Amino acid sequence: MSTLTDNPPMTAHATNPPAAAQVHPTFPGILRGEWIKVLSLRSTWWALASTAAVITLVALASAMSLSATTDDPALAQGIEQMHGAEVIAGGFHFGMLTIAVLGALLITGEYATGTIRSTFAAVPSRTPVLGAKALVLIVLTAAVTLVSATLSYLVTMLQLSQYDLVPALDDPGTWRVLGGTLYSLIAAALFSLGIATLLRSTAASVTVALTVLLLLPGTLSFIRLDWVETIVSYLPLPASSALLTTGAAETQGVYLSTQASLIVLAAYAVVPLAAAAITLHRRDA
Amino acid sequence: MIEAHELTKRYGDKTAVHTLSFTIAPGTVTGFLGPNGAGKSTTMRLIMGLDRPTSGTVLVNGKPYGQHRSPLREVGALLDAKAVHPGRSARSHLRTMAATHHIKASRVSEVIEMTGLAGAATKRVGGFSLGMSQRLGIAAALLGDPRTLILDEPVNGLDPEGVQWVRQLVRDLAAEGRTVFLSSHLMSEMSQTADQLLVIGRGHIIATGSVQQVIDSVASGAVRVRSPRADELAAALTADGVTITSPDASMLEVSGTTAEHVGQVAFRNGLPLYELSPRGASSKRRTCS
Ligand SMILES: Nc1ncnc2c1ncn2[C@@H]1O[C@H](COP(=O)(O)OP(=O)(O)OP(=O)(O)O)[C@@H](O)[C@H]1O
Ligand SMILES: [Mg+2]
Repeated sequence: MSTLTDNPPMTAHATNPPAAAQVHPTFPGILRGEWIKVLSLRSTWWALASTAAVITLVALASAMSLSATTDDPALAQGIEQMHGAEVIAGGFHFGMLTIAVLGALLITGEYATGTIRSTFAAVPSRTPVLGAKALVLIVLTAAVTLVSATLSYLVTMLQLSQYDLVPALDDPGTWRVLGGTLYSLIAAALFSLGIATLLRSTAASVTVALTVLLLLPGTLSFIRLDWVETIVSYLPLPASSALLTTGAAETQGVYLSTQASLIVLAAYAVVPLAAAAITLHRRDA
Repeated sequence: MIEAHELTKRYGDKTAVHTLSFTIAPGTVTGFLGPNGAGKSTTMRLIMGLDRPTSGTVLVNGKPYGQHRSPLREVGALLDAKAVHPGRSARSHLRTMAATHHIKASRVSEVIEMTGLAGAATKRVGGFSLGMSQRLGIAAALLGDPRTLILDEPVNGLDPEGVQWVRQLVRDLAAEGRTVFLSSHLMSEMSQTADQLLVIGRGHIIATGSVQQVIDSVASGAVRVRSPRADELAAALTADGVTITSPDASMLEVSGTTAEHVGQVAFRNGLPLYELSPRGASSKRRTCS
């Protein structure tokens, strides 16, 4: 601390101004600024590490509980239809939550600390900042999904091999589940970024994300009314189910088709972001 | 050059600034003087396009701030020294801003050197003293080598040496032909730093002119008035030759008129007065301290 309060030597006003030619905001520049922002914060690394940890641990847990499944004759035949990749993706919805926290922090961190004013002073058009944040979030989510899938694959290999369930890398089913996981995680992350840009508060945004992503599907599933079940099928987690199976399990419950799932999840990502982009201009920073 | 025209900003039913019109000229240091809550920071956010005016316009170097091709080259602003993510280092903070405009890393190092932050540049901002944060804010304002500088209470928290340095810096910047607009709530501070003054009280402009003019007008036959509705009284008294300063929210120093006139105006407008006292030239010392 003492170094911070010491009086550093004062230098006179030097002039070596930035070259006038190329000094103005461009999208690549704004994107680079967002990368520096996100990578220079510890909270980013915490969110990414916990996402990978949660996905991997839950995958390991579900692989280990396979033995319990086979002991129960009623469930034993289910395992026949199971795909190893589904076990690996088993922890994805918890990862959805940590990645949603990251998505929210990307913008609420700026509002909470006041940095948003420096940001919008540098980029008065504002919307490109949101676009750059979305892009950064997509890349980070993709990276952490790949790492998590690889880790999950490695830690579950032993268990899965006992049931001949180790997903083959040349099996399209494996890539379908991985792709579905990635798509759903990106949708959850962008949904959270959009909501957080509208709400500007970490607590409020995480509450909304938690409710919509996890709590609602869980609680509403106890209500056995047709119209409630229809609504539930359009919530992000149930809507992603079709993308997370190789097809065999699709018959159970009121699940959307693959195509409908892709569209519904895209809407969750895009609609709040679009609303945020519009209001970003009108509101005080 | 900063030109405000009938600038008004309301937050809910609270009017923060009320039909402000003023021009801040280049090549000189203009002080923005007013008590807490007078509307200084609000005005600066309006200039920067960060808050949207309820009505009126404000132009920087001929255009609304947001319409400049290279915003950081037009205006550098220090609005709130503490408004930096505490988890980031000073250098990272400056690099994020520089990146948007393709400003070179060498310029980031340069402003770090200039503001005396070299020793602390890689430390997390969360541990900075207010003085160090002010230096970082000034570094950020200088980053784009802007033609116009807007500094909200830049000497707040600086040690005497730092205060001296800021004074010299803003004078040098103005001497280079730049526009420098900085706020303070201390007349004593402004009289040593600024050439021109814009005095604001409760969202109204109550005096403008050179520092000496403002001081003289206050000193010569000023009338001190206290009223719970001082801002309305100030608006009602505004006329040619009348200068009004507002040392705090419920007090006005009115010059260029008489105590009788102030009393009449207050009565006509139904405004209660708690104090109405003609002052001699001695008030000059009090205003300056
Ligand atoms: N975002 C906001 N929402 C509601 N009211 C606000 C907001 N910003 C400012 N105000 C109000 O507007 C008035 C002017 O505030 P402002 O911060 O501009 O004053 P100031 O002159 O900068 O004061 P200080 O010397 O304390 O910094 C105050 O009454 C303040 O409470
Ligand atoms: Mg202020």
